[in-house]
Amino acid sequence: MEAADLSHHTSRRFNEDLERVRSKVLAMGGLVEEQLAGALTALIEGDSKLGQAVARNDHTVNGMEVSIDEECSRILATRAPAAGDLRMIVATIKTITDLERIGDECEKIAHIAARLANDERPADRYRSVKHLGRITQAMVRDMLDAFARLDAELAVTTARNDRRVDEEYEAIHRQCITFMMEDPRTIRRALDIMWVVRSLERVGDHAKNVCEYIIYMVHGKDVRHTSLERVEQEIKSRSAHP
Amino acid sequence: MTGSKWWWTWLAARIALALAAGLLLGLLFGYPYAGVTIVLSALLARELWALRRVQRWLRGEPGVEAPEVGGVWGDVISLIANLQRRKQYHKQRLLRLLRELRRATAAIPDGVVALNSQAEILWFNRTAARLLHLRARTDVGLRIENLVRQPEFIRYLRAGDYAQAVVVGSALDADLYLHMQLVPYGDGQSLLLVRDVSGQQRLEAMRKDFVANASHELRSPLTVIAGYLETLSQDAAIEPSLAQPIAEMRRQSTRMTGIIEDLLALSKLEASDGAADRQPINVATLCALLRRDLLARTDPATNVQIDVRSTDWLLGDEAMVHSAFANLLDNAAKYTPVGGVISMRWWTDREGGHLAVQDSGIGISPEHIPRLTERFYRVDPGRSRATGGSGLGLAIVKHVLQRHGAILEIVSTEGRGSTFTCHFPPDRLVTGVSSA
Repeated sequence: MEAADLSHHTSRRFNEDLERVRSKVLAMGGLVEEQLAGALTALIEGDSKLGQAVARNDHTVNGMEVSIDEECSRILATRAPAAGDLRMIVATIKTITDLERIGDECEKIAHIAARLANDERPADRYRSVKHLGRITQAMVRDMLDAFARLDAELAVTTARNDRRVDEEYEAIHRQCITFMMEDPRTIRRALDIMWVVRSLERVGDHAKNVCEYIIYMVHGKDVRHTSLERVEQEIKSRSAHP
Repeated sequence: MTGSKWWWTWLAARIALALAAGLLLGLLFGYPYAGVTIVLSALLARELWALRRVQRWLRGEPGVEAPEVGGVWGDVISLIANLQRRKQYHKQRLLRLLRELRRATAAIPDGVVALNSQAEILWFNRTAARLLHLRARTDVGLRIENLVRQPEFIRYLRAGDYAQAVVVGSALDADLYLHMQLVPYGDGQSLLLVRDVSGQQRLEAMRKDFVANASHELRSPLTVIAGYLETLSQDAAIEPSLAQPIAEMRRQSTRMTGIIEDLLALSKLEASDGAADRQPINVATLCALLRRDLLARTDPATNVQIDVRSTDWLLGDEAMVHSAFANLLDNAAKYTPVGGVISMRWWTDREGGHLAVQDSGIGISPEHIPRLTERFYRVDPGRSRATGGSGLGLAIVKHVLQRHGAILEIVSTEGRGSTFTCHFPPDRLVTGVSSA
């Protein structure tokens, strides 16, 4: 009787530990979302103060990564989780690395935004950057939603959006080259814009990575370096015949 | 009651009769015990048979109707059936009520999310689903902070102070602002109320922009007017009868510049609502500086006493704190008659740092005190215009203090003077860098 109670108690505490880690990861994700939105607003509105504030705030993201990492190590050492729980911890450790990198990219964008704020804004008011920003923001958001809901299907559709990010990136790339050839005076800014879109493209890649960890966490299958169509088929067949 | 008693009497009588018959038959054949045993077995079998039928009926096996057995069993069955009917009725009624309730809450134009003590979602209505992007199929049982991830909301949720609401931008739509408030109820549960305040937010932003832009636009023509007036006042060729009007025009244009500067300062304070910077400020030096400025401006010089009782420095935005304290000192000087005394005191204790500006002026009657920090609020319109104030000084003080997490306390007795005290929280203090 006592033993049963004890084991029940331990597992409940364990569940709480796992839940807390998940909430912490998502809180970190929320902060990263805010950083990304702030960096893009700073660039588009030409708000150098906001840009500096976002760049300064990156250490908070890094601090959260360290704290979650420690907690995961502690759980691995003391609870020796198995199966799904183990997958969750492993996926979490990988996820926070990618989230931290997204934070770093936001810091880069914010630095550039703070610098560009002093210049005159371009005629198109960063329309194409804004568009790319929207897509990456939606990717990060959907990725975190999929993590919260353990929704592998949403993870697959989100991962697929990375292609759109890559296409947009290519388009802006070409556009920048055209501008630079037409008017050499725009080279400096065009190069800065290239850095920004490069960062956004990296954000998309990191979000895609996290989506793959989510699929691994839910289905226990490593889908890195596999084509998304095959992954999708697999997931569909699994949910059809559980 | 009588009914049930009667059943039992009838049953006892039947058993007695059967036993007697069995005994009689047994005696007739010479085996009295066997006779009684047979009768008892038959009775037992009959009762068990009835019990089995009742059990099958209660199990709800298909095609089994309520058994038609008489006696005590019949009574028990009808009682059970009654009980079931009553329960069914109550269940229906509760279900109907619940459905009504859900329909009513779903119709509330605000978003409502019910949370348990772990902040896990129990239920939410359609508006909440739309505003927070929740999905009924997957999200019940998930923690709200996992789905509503804005750092500001998470801070609000963890801080546990739900008397205030929080306004956060939506993660989905940059133009959508949500006003969220937690209302605790029952045993650790809470309701999260969500309202779309994008409209108000936009209006507020437009109002702030308008004030800032209008002040900015007014400044340049005013500079031109003030410039010409200055030239005119020094022009010897001007008719002497015009000297007085020109001097008055100069005074008024200076005052107008002051009002516009204050308006701009106020709109700048409003533009960002985060906490102020944390530069260390030496309050003793600041007070001395303010005193020197005031003495240079007033004639005859006002008597300003400084009483610094703590070597702790203040952590804040120096320019803002300077303007706030200067406004308090200016006010004190304005309302203190010649020969009066103004004192500035700075002290610290467990509750934080306190700066008091006390004057021996005319004082303020109590009904005005709560409204003093409103823009352009005048205790005595004639008098304050004569002294040339902008009417914005205390509004600026209030905003500066808000940004520092501090509060303004006003104590005043009419005819004896007023004390304006700024209370700064302990985390805005730092031990003096050098206490020399």
